[in-house]
Amino acid sequence: MQTTIQTRTRSAAAVKLMLLILFFLGIGIILNGVRGQREYAKSGFSSESAYRAIYRLHRETESVWEQKLSPDLGKLTESERQRLGDIAAALLADSWEDLKKGGGETAGALLSGAAEDEREALTHKLLYATFLTAGPKVSTANRKQIAALTEAEAESFRAALLRCVLDDRAEAPAAAAKLAGELTGAEREAMLMQVWFVSCGSMEAGVTEQVNALKKSVRDKAAQLDAFRMIARGEVSAVQQLVAGHGRTAILIGAVLAFNALLLALLMAGDQTWRVDLKWIVILLIVDFLLLFQLLPLLYMLVKAFFPEGSFSLETMRRLHTYPLNLDAVKNTLLAATASMVFGTLLAFPLAWLVGRTDLCGRRFFRGLFVMTYMVPPYVGAMAWLRLLNPNVGTMNRWLRLLLHLSDAPGPLNVYTLSGMVWVLTSFYYPYAFITISRAMEKMDPSLEEASRVSGASPLKTVFTVTLPMMLPSLISGALLVFVSAMSCYGIPSIIGSPGRVHTVTTRIVEYVSLGQQGLNDATGMAVFLMVLAVVILFLSDVVLAKRQYITVSGKSVQPALVELGRWRIPLTVLVGLFAVLVILIPFATILLTSFKIDVGKSVLAPANFTLSNWRTVFGRVETLNSLKNSLLFASVTATVGIAIACTMSYLLQRTRIRGRKLPDFLITLGSGTPSVVIALGLIMTMKGNFGINIYNTAYIMIIAYLIKYLMMGMRTVVSAMSQIHVSLEESSQISGAGWGRTMLRITGPLIFPSIAAGWFLIFIPSFYELSMTALLYSSTTKTIGFQLYEYWTFTSQPMSCAMAFGILLIVMLLNLILNRLTKGEFSI
Amino acid sequence: MATVTIQKVTKAFGDNVVLREFSAAFQDGEFITLLGPSGCGKTTMLRMIAGFEKPTSGEIHIDGQLVSGGRTFVPPEKRGVGMVFQSYAVWPHMDVFDNVAYPLSIRHTPKSEIKASVEKVLSIVHLSQYAERFPNQLSGGQQQRVALARALVAEPKLLLLDEPLSNLDAKLRESMRFEIKEIQKKLGINVVYVTHDQTEAMAMSDRIFLINRGVVQQCGTPQEIYNSPANQFVADFLGKVDFFKGEAQNGRIIFPAMGGQSIPYSGGRRGRVDAAIRPENFYFTEDGVLTGTLETQYYLGDVDDCRVRVGDTLVRVIANGYVHRTLREGQQVCLGVRDMMVFPDDGLLEQMLEIST
Repeated sequence: MQTTIQTRTRSAAAVKLMLLILFFLGIGIILNGVRGQREYAKSGFSSESAYRAIYRLHRETESVWEQKLSPDLGKLTESERQRLGDIAAALLADSWEDLKKGGGETAGALLSGAAEDEREALTHKLLYATFLTAGPKVSTANRKQIAALTEAEAESFRAALLRCVLDDRAEAPAAAAKLAGELTGAEREAMLMQVWFVSCGSMEAGVTEQVNALKKSVRDKAAQLDAFRMIARGEVSAVQQLVAGHGRTAILIGAVLAFNALLLALLMAGDQTWRVDLKWIVILLIVDFLLLFQLLPLLYMLVKAFFPEGSFSLETMRRLHTYPLNLDAVKNTLLAATASMVFGTLLAFPLAWLVGRTDLCGRRFFRGLFVMTYMVPPYVGAMAWLRLLNPNVGTMNRWLRLLLHLSDAPGPLNVYTLSGMVWVLTSFYYPYAFITISRAMEKMDPSLEEASRVSGASPLKTVFTVTLPMMLPSLISGALLVFVSAMSCYGIPSIIGSPGRVHTVTTRIVEYVSLGQQGLNDATGMAVFLMVLAVVILFLSDVVLAKRQYITVSGKSVQPALVELGRWRIPLTVLVGLFAVLVILIPFATILLTSFKIDVGKSVLAPANFTLSNWRTVFGRVETLNSLKNSLLFASVTATVGIAIACTMSYLLQRTRIRGRKLPDFLITLGSGTPSVVIALGLIMTMKGNFGINIYNTAYIMIIAYLIKYLMMGMRTVVSAMSQIHVSLEESSQISGAGWGRTMLRITGPLIFPSIAAGWFLIFIPSFYELSMTALLYSSTTKTIGFQLYEYWTFTSQPMSCAMAFGILLIVMLLNLILNRLTKGEFSI
Repeated sequence: MATVTIQKVTKAFGDNVVLREFSAAFQDGEFITLLGPSGCGKTTMLRMIAGFEKPTSGEIHIDGQLVSGGRTFVPPEKRGVGMVFQSYAVWPHMDVFDNVAYPLSIRHTPKSEIKASVEKVLSIVHLSQYAERFPNQLSGGQQQRVALARALVAEPKLLLLDEPLSNLDAKLRESMRFEIKEIQKKLGINVVYVTHDQTEAMAMSDRIFLINRGVVQQCGTPQEIYNSPANQFVADFLGKVDFFKGEAQNGRIIFPAMGGQSIPYSGGRRGRVDAAIRPENFYFTEDGVLTGTLETQYYLGDVDDCRVRVGDTLVRVIANGYVHRTLREGQQVCLGVRDMMVFPDDGLLEQMLEIST
């Protein structure tokens, strides 16, 4: 007993010491990073990569000196060496004369400062370094010619070169003859020396790259001199080039390290257990990821919106405010989101009630149908409604004109308006409210309604006195969900709003981003507006939902008696059916039919207007297939990483009482509530190297964006599955002798597998067809299927993009089917 | 005060027949219990009386008026019955007063009358001081009383209770049992009560309908059902009973599994029979009819729970608590039989066993 306690104190001390070391290591790295940054700021280099180039070129210079220059010189006589050194020094002084105007040491001072026995080597190295970027030009053809020489040929070639330098009447060797041809005096000497260096130097791509990097980052003349000196004398060490060349990254790494050590110490102190728990490491990793890629961008944008040039200023806000287009965008966004919320909820509640509580014909079918719309990419709907409600050629408009005997003037409906946008937004976001309300209704004890019936209230009266008040929290949270989704939607406004000059905050943000630095500032202002609104609404929704915890004693699971609609049954079924036809069948059919048309304006049945070529062309194009491949790849990676985090988080949330487990949970929830464009914009502004991470224009930035937005979908699914597995199931496995790992594998794993699969697909599907974030983050090699479709729609042909849209729809439905099969029907969207 | 007449009511959900040709007539002021194991169809019958389910065939009359049957169907809100649900179904968004007042406000009763009625019924269920509380501030028992008050406030002709006590703890259940009975007596209303708890049924009912697998097994007063069960199921469901297979002949029943020992029998059955004997109807005596060895005894304070091996059969005997002072395990004992129920050996017993396992 005594010894165990001793060991524990000893190991606790070790852990404390380790944390302390880690913390100071972090601080040390930060300080070094700061020093490197300061050095860099003073240096006059225009890019930190100069340090890396200098370091690499120094190593190159050293090896060239050791292997070629020095042996070549060894073959000369003492006096020849002396003269060559003098020529080199003169050339150096010459070429530095031009550069020195910016200040700094002269070559002479540098050389005379060196020790006697080092002077010759230094002279040649300095000249070599100088001629790397600032010497006479040797064309690529000549370089190739020189490189083609064999070892022995090269050696005699170099010997001949040196002789020429020393004797200006000597004939230059073949490969250099043309270069030196017309030149005389110092120019001739410089050229011949340069050819000597070229034939000594390696032609490795790495070196050329570093030379180019150096050229780019030392345009300033004084800096150039510094660079040559540093190359020749090796003034940048391996560590230095790391610290000075990656100052920001070093600061970031140090900060993360110190922060983690501090957090870990706090957690352990709070727990009174000085033991390194693997769970803490996992939490820290997840927290680090979220802090870096989610919180940092958001905070940076907040700061940037109010401190655009480093000091507090409302300039951005003022500019946004005075520009009428932006005011319109804000107004449109608020109006459209509010209207969609109101209409969406007004649709969703009666539908949820009819489908869930009455004997409506085909209620299960309708339920599945309405829920399925949830998984359709909104821009597909926008495209369909555009085809239907275009004021001139929209199919629906033409029917209406025919039916109502209107003239051929445009109309009567016009999708390119605010109300058109509201209609499309509503028809694609009401399922959010429908699903929220339906779920709550299923959970409600049906006896509550039956008690009202038996008290003498009619079914309709019961809806208003019992069902509706009981559903109010879910109704409100469903409505707010519609509001936030409609407000942050980019796909629909970009397709419908932009051509109709109906701007929204999201479309303005994307437009601004393409307008350079000023635009980025303005976009930040808009994004902050969107973000603050979303966070406030999320908070409201949370408050409302917290009140939902009504205590309902669950009775036995009696199938709730369905309200009999009686003579209303058929009319209501027809009404719901018509709604489904209008909102689901007609748009999808439009997409499908348009994809077979040659002339969009004519019916698909019109003579010579039916073709399969749209499908063939679109899916035959390399760019389509590439973007499809990208989408599948990015979505799979996102879903796999996401579900791994989700499983870990579920375990932490459901099975441990470890401190700090709520922190990543909170961040993940916050991330999913943040509008997509805001996430993307934040990543653009912080992940292009200014914080030490540069993943701009890569696939990583897109995957990270998808993760932040969709991680919660997967996590909630796994968490709720795990919460339903009573811990005693795991305990009885452990009591039967199975360890933790085996219990997870044999008991918990199989029990929650359907949810894990469902979670994977819930992350995969929206990542697969994502558009809003992709529109900001894509690069020419990372285009996704959603963005490719958007491009086809905007720049190529509508029938072709319809073919592609329907293809996407089919893939999503197929995925849904797989999910359904995989989880034995327990899950589908 | 209402009479309920149920004529040949059958209810099927798809192919699954949950209730088969149920016929009954409940008289004014009667306390009727529908008793049976879970899934027997008793709740379905209650919900059909309430109007939440429609009979597949048959008719239900309340007070001589047809409410379900043929093409007639009166919805629940028009039947004028009160009902208490197993989950209480007290509305969480209304306080106690509003919950109880609800049936009256639906009927557009004047405010002052509502107040008087609610106060009266709340005092009946001892909740007068809780009128302004919300359900989440009440205990399970109190919520249950709110549900009862709400069912009673409109002075229904008929009160339906669906396992109202099953979510309460044992002590509370016992006291609520008598409270409900008291209220029923005081108001003189007709109650239909559904439960799977035989003690509850015995304590409260005027008549019990014992149902199994959709078929009424027996209907009668608690005494009738307990003492003269119609079949093996009824005997088994109420109280403890052990069955012994035997052969009735010449005024005795011979039990082959007891090494051929026999018990005198004066009834009219002959041939293979199931003899059902409750453990408390065996007693230790010098001149018993069965002899065996006392194998185990568990002293439970008020009684002594013993197992006696008679031939190859283990017989359970619940004797009075003094027995353990005189008897030792392994001792030879003689058993007398106070009472015995004899059923023909028609395979019902085997069927029951099959179902219960």
